[in-house]
Amino acid sequence: MRYLLFACLFVVLGCSSIECPVQNTVACIYHLKDTLKDTLTIKTVRQNGTDTILLNKAQKPVSFKLPVSYQRAADTLIFQTFRLAVVDTVWLSKTDFPHFESVDCGVSYFHQINDVRCTHNGIDSIKISKSFIDYVPDNPHILIYFKARN
Amino acid sequence: MFLTTRIYSSISRLAISLLLLLAFHLDVGAQKFLKLEKDTIPLFRGFAVSFDLAGFAQTQLGTYGQYEGALRLNIHDQYFPIIEVGLGRANHSYDEVTEISYKTTAPYFRIGADVNIMNNKHTGNRVFVGLRYGFTNYSVDIDHPVFADPYWKWPTTFTMTDVKCRQHWGEVVFGLDGKVYGPVHLGWSARYRVRMSSNDGSIGKSWYVPGYGLQDTSVLGYTFYVSVDI
Repeated sequence: MRYLLFACLFVVLGCSSIECPVQNTVACIYHLKDTLKDTLTIKTVRQNGTDTILLNKAQKPVSFKLPVSYQRAADTLIFQTFRLAVVDTVWLSKTDFPHFESVDCGVSYFHQINDVRCTHNGIDSIKISKSFIDYVPDNPHILIYFKARN
Repeated sequence: MFLTTRIYSSISRLAISLLLLLAFHLDVGAQKFLKLEKDTIPLFRGFAVSFDLAGFAQTQLGTYGQYEGALRLNIHDQYFPIIEVGLGRANHSYDEVTEISYKTTAPYFRIGADVNIMNNKHTGNRVFVGLRYGFTNYSVDIDHPVFADPYWKWPTTFTMTDVKCRQHWGEVVFGLDGKVYGPVHLGWSARYRVRMSSNDGSIGKSWYVPGYGLQDTSVLGYTFYVSVDI
C-alpha cells in the first residue's frame, strides 16, 4: 500500500511540460508591390519622444515584418528612403486583442487593422491585404506601391 | 511542439487501435460480455461513494487540481453507472518567468458507466472499462503587472476578468478496484480524453480546464480513489 501511494505521488509530481507555439511572433507583414530600388529605413517615436529604428537601411526590400504596438490606437511609422531622400509617414489604425496561450508562454496581442493611410511623397498608394494580425505569417497584411523611380 | 504532437498522435493511434480491437472482441463475444450472468446474486447490489486522492494531492502540491467525488451504482457486480462531480481549481499566481497569474474555480460533471470485465465478477475486486461524458462551465481571471511595450515603451496592461468559457469532452476509462477492508475499496483509473467542443471566450486558449486538466497535456489522465460500498 505504501509503495502504491508513493507511485501515485510520483505520477502527480512527475508530469510537466511547456506547450508554447513555435511560431509566436506577432508582426505586421508589409509587401512592396514594385521592388524599391533604394535603401529604406523605418522609424517610430517612443513614449519619451525619442526615435527608434524598426527597419535599418534595408536595400531593395521586397517584404519585411514590423512590430505592432500592444495598446496604442494607431502606430505612426516614418518611411525614409536614402537615394531620393524622401520621407513618408504611415498611420496604422487598429484594435488590439490580448491573447493568452499558457502561463508558460508570456503575453501577446493580436490586432485587427481598421485603416491605413500615408503621405504621398514617395509612396503612391497603400492598402490592407489581410486585416487580422496574429501568429500566422503566411500572407502580407499591408501592400505598398511606391512611385515609379528611375 | 512537433515532437509532442507526434507523440500524442501515436498515442491516439494506439488507443484507437486498442479500441477497435476491443470492439472486435466485443462484437465476437458481445452476448457473453454484455449479458448479465445468471446466478443467485441480486440484480441491484447497492451504491459506492468515492473520493479522488490523486486530484486532492495535485491540488495540495501544485497550483491546480481538483476535489472530486463519485457515486457509483452496482448492478450485479457487472455494470456500474457513475456520476462524478468535482470542483476544479487553478490558482497560479505570478509565474516567475512570465509574471502571469491565472485563476479559475468551477464545478464539473462527468456521467458514464463502467463494465467489470473480470471472469468472476463477485469477488469484490474489479477490472473496469468504461466511458464518460464530461462538461464544465467556468470563468477565468488572467492578470499581468503593468509593463512597457517592448518598442514603443508605453505602459501596457494585460488583464482579463471573469472570461466565460466552457468545454465538453469524452473519456475512455480503464481501471482496477480492489477490496481492502470490509466495504472499503482502493482503485485507480487511467483515462484517455477527447475534447468534443470548447469555447475559450476571448482569452485565446484556456490553460487549465476544471475536470479536464491542462489543455495541451491532459489527453491522458488518472485518478486514484478510495471508495466505500453503501
